Amino acid sequence: MAINQAAVIGAGVMGAGIAAHLANAGVPVLLLDIVPPGAPGGADDRSALARGAIARMLKADPAPFMWKRAANLVTPGNLEDDFDKLAGCDWIVEAVLEDPKVKRDLYQRLEKVRKDGSVVSSNTSTLPLKLLTEGLPERFARDFLITHFFNPPRYMALLELVAGEKTRPEAVAEIAAFGDRVLGKAIVHCKDTPGFVANRIGSFWLQCAAVEALERGITVEDADAVLGRPLGIPKTGVFGLLDLVGLDLMPKVDASLAATLPPDDAYHALRRPFPLLDKLIAEGYTGRKGKGGFYRLNRADGGKVKEAVDLKTGDYAPAAKVSLGSVSAARHGGAKALVAHGDRGGLYAWAVMSQVLAYAASLVPEIADDIPAVDRALRTGYNWKFGPFELLDKLGAKDVAQRLTDEGRDVPPLLQKAAETEGFYRVKDGRLQYLTVDGGYANVERAEGVLLLSDVKLQGAPLAKNGSASLWDIGDGVVCLEVHTKMNTMDPEVFKIMAKALEIVPKGHKALVVYNEGTHFSAGANLGLAMFAANVGAWPTIEDMVAEGQKVYTALKRAPFPVVAAPSGLALGGGCEILLASDAVQAHAESYIGLVEAGVGVVPAWGGCKELLARYAADPRRPKGPMPPVAAAFETIGLAKVAKSAYEAKELGFLRAGDQITFNRERLLADAKQRALELVEGYQPPAPVDLFLPGPSGKASLAFALRDLHAKGQATEHDMVVATTLAEVLTGGAKADFTEPTSEDAILKMERAAFMRLVKTPGTLARVEHMLETGKPLRN
Amino acid sequence: MMQRNVVIAGYARSPFTFAHKGEMVKLRPDEMAAQVVRGLLERSGVDPKDVEDLIVGCAFPEGEQGLNVARLIGFLAELPIAVAGTTVNRFCGSSMQAIHMAAGSIQMDAGEAFLCAGIESMSRVPMAGFNPLLHPGLAERFPAAYISMGETAENVARRHQITRARQEELAVESHRKAAAAQGAGKLKDEIVAMQLNGATVDADGCIRADTSLEALAGLKPAFATDGSVTAATSSPLTDGASAVLVTSEDYAKAHGLKPLARIRSIAVAGCDPDVMGMGPVAATNKALKRAGLTVKDLDIVELNEAFAAQALACADELGLDLEKANLDGGALALGHPLGATGARITGKAAALLQREGKQFALATQCIGGGQGIATILEAA
Repeated sequence: MAINQAAVIGAGVMGAGIAAHLANAGVPVLLLDIVPPGAPGGADDRSALARGAIARMLKADPAPFMWKRAANLVTPGNLEDDFDKLAGCDWIVEAVLEDPKVKRDLYQRLEKVRKDGSVVSSNTSTLPLKLLTEGLPERFARDFLITHFFNPPRYMALLELVAGEKTRPEAVAEIAAFGDRVLGKAIVHCKDTPGFVANRIGSFWLQCAAVEALERGITVEDADAVLGRPLGIPKTGVFGLLDLVGLDLMPKVDASLAATLPPDDAYHALRRPFPLLDKLIAEGYTGRKGKGGFYRLNRADGGKVKEAVDLKTGDYAPAAKVSLGSVSAARHGGAKALVAHGDRGGLYAWAVMSQVLAYAASLVPEIADDIPAVDRALRTGYNWKFGPFELLDKLGAKDVAQRLTDEGRDVPPLLQKAAETEGFYRVKDGRLQYLTVDGGYANVERAEGVLLLSDVKLQGAPLAKNGSASLWDIGDGVVCLEVHTKMNTMDPEVFKIMAKALEIVPKGHKALVVYNEGTHFSAGANLGLAMFAANVGAWPTIEDMVAEGQKVYTALKRAPFPVVAAPSGLALGGGCEILLASDAVQAHAESYIGLVEAGVGVVPAWGGCKELLARYAADPRRPKGPMPPVAAAFETIGLAKVAKSAYEAKELGFLRAGDQITFNRERLLADAKQRALELVEGYQPPAPVDLFLPGPSGKASLAFALRDLHAKGQATEHDMVVATTLAEVLTGGAKADFTEPTSEDAILKMERAAFMRLVKTPGTLARVEHMLETGKPLRN
Repeated sequence: MMQRNVVIAGYARSPFTFAHKGEMVKLRPDEMAAQVVRGLLERSGVDPKDVEDLIVGCAFPEGEQGLNVARLIGFLAELPIAVAGTTVNRFCGSSMQAIHMAAGSIQMDAGEAFLCAGIESMSRVPMAGFNPLLHPGLAERFPAAYISMGETAENVARRHQITRARQEELAVESHRKAAAAQGAGKLKDEIVAMQLNGATVDADGCIRADTSLEALAGLKPAFATDGSVTAATSSPLTDGASAVLVTSEDYAKAHGLKPLARIRSIAVAGCDPDVMGMGPVAATNKALKRAGLTVKDLDIVELNEAFAAQALACADELGLDLEKANLDGGALALGHPLGATGARITGKAAALLQREGKQFALATQCIGGGQGIATILEAA
């Protein structure tokens, strides 16, 4: 059965967030909560909880909705007046209080209205499925499972599924397929055990890290520096993460695990009083949602000082800069160098991670069938770069087992097996394999429609490669252009590989996909290179880089084969311009796209001005005449607007109406490849378009608009310089008139001249330098 | 040729609602005006066959208020095909200009009855229109020609030393009077309820009965970081339409119409565009002189509040008594749908003369680009 209508019961943070994400995926969803006590008879007020949740989400940052209009798909209601509407729902997600009785009572009510074949799932994070289905009819047990989303549901990829003995396999398959393809979630099938997979290990890790820090006298700052980046864990580390999720959650999770974990579980040994935590919670230091937590921002005297709490005294002091040999060593030597280091950081890292990783190794197959499931859960539920078993391979399964043995500690059997063979993962005949619980190896299987470049890379050498980019044959005649610089910025070496693609693809291939598996598609041009050249006055080098980029982007656009770009994460500046030059874009829903050049004091010069103008001019929704496309492009580029999802990118015109959106990151490459192949038959490169630009009359109009912005304090001195230059380019220059066409080439020339003029100004150089140093735009 | 008397024989308008967020965002301006014209015809009792011309003022006559929108409104309102239609643009003074043209025609014996309307959907047609294309040479040589309205308000406030506090007092007072008039049902007679997709809009939407000096004091300047003009002391972007029936006095008498007021004199005048808000001063002085009156003779004043600063500076210059001005609130509270304002304040001044039983009234307003327009009315 297709899921055409969903419902979420419980409009708390999780329930509302799940509803929003269903709406993001285009699914109409009913969001119900109780009638608030004391609500008067008016129908509006009776649904105040759901309505309020939607209103709050429309203002929240990070936004639960991918675009404002998605909110129209969420219908607010209440459990009294709207309960019968659940009869029309294919999937009903329950996200109410973590109280088995409350949930079961609700399920009993549900049984009276819901239709046959509909699926009910609970978003519980602490209650076992067995308990939830107690005393409920057979039909319910067959249609029920646990769907455990992570907070915030839009952004966290993990979706844990727990099926009961009676759950229909088709119901599980249906929700898994829907979660995977439509909601874009990484599905992990879990056993019905406490904390399921991610939180079972994650909570152990948090508890262990806190206890070890307290007992070893490790500061909050040191703990987070050690248990963060060096291990591929988000920089919030442990205490920063607790601040993020809320300190008050910890005692609840602890109590729940203590009550439900088997008596011999290693977690019990880690439990002990944590008076500081209780004190912080009591004083309102519940984390970022409260006054602060282990960290706080001290705004006394108008300042903004980040402070950290002293775990011994409970006093706050300005957060200390971490200086640990182990952390420095990890910069080059990775996790292995970290735990091998003898300083307090290294010893702390080993103490915590050895316990956590051994714990994880002891839990398969108790909590999940295989180790890839566990790794996936931690990667997508806690944003770890490597799951526990991947980390064990990084540290060396043999070395870890040996060190545990040397220390007189137990080595879990699975770790022992890994130590005796080739580790938890190996590559055999170009295939990634994992260690099974019986000690053999099995292929890591990808679902149909999943294609990973990392898998392709195991199978052979690239078609071409240099330090900045590579070309890979991804099968069926499609070549993948992968940029692999820092933040995947564009530089002359990337252009060389692009030029190579122009050579290679027509000889025996059909299409090109631009894609990489980094966090970000591309943060734009390599500013460092430009700054370096500017510092030595090598202006021709910079101009060459601009010209080369224009040449190769234009050549890609005019190439005799289709080019499909597949962004995920940031696609800014020069990264955005690649999208604009492509025949089609297959965008990951979480794509953040914009022409942000103005932020560093320049204008888009790899065709961005030209392409956006052409897009806006062709948009039938805009009024006719020479100014609307120009004014719109001026606003989008001048304000360096960034679309915060693929949907917003469509609204801003960075994506065309026909460009497609993929929700599951792992499906992006396959979808892009499919899109490219669709374009192959009868492919004709787009012909250059003429634009009819207003020239000086239009520039004068923009100049007045700009003057007003300046007066209002919305445009700085250098904004005026940059925007005036941008206005010149977008209106077609001094000779343009809307009765005569302006060619694409003429606009490219203006882009280049404008870029060169701006890059030599002190204001622009200051912006570039500031961006390189701080990662933030300078408002000069 | 004999001088013929001209009277205002009827006045009606749509509710005025916020552009972009109000209830009439989705109402086409031509349709809005047609509904107002139909309403006026019914209320005044004039025989449409006798109407010479439909003169429609509009500040940005393009898009849905483009083409010769007056002719189209005539069709929409089902006026007899023989009634002509013309669109006139004097920016904010457009529909007062429509009245002046009617008056001139009547005195030329070129017609007996005229429908003078004004429209602006600031939701559906942006200020400056869809394709602002300035003369680059003029923009360079004489930038004041294209100066933004907010900047002119700041210039007026500075040059005439109109403090922010005074501006805010006027704004609060404007809302208070408008809210009182609305509460007392005094605006009902002039409003024609708009029909829009099965819904009815029958009340003004911009009035904030609960505003206060404290609330306004917290606002940031809207146009200049160091300025004194805020969103609250500027008239809001508004959607609305208005219309008055202008006839010869003889015609009105002969056909049993009920004139609200007689037009005594009219005037327009130019002023420096960078202080366009001062336009009413010269225009009013001219009109008073033509009427043989002085400011002291005025009993009722409709002084358009494009900006509080500008209205106060004009009142100061002219020596107007603010007690007599904008009795039912001004544009700060009611809104200012550019092309529709002139007919509103002229019709309102006429209606107030009758309601209050007074002798002389002035309706005047400032105009972007540096102009003023004024009409003196007397009891009919």
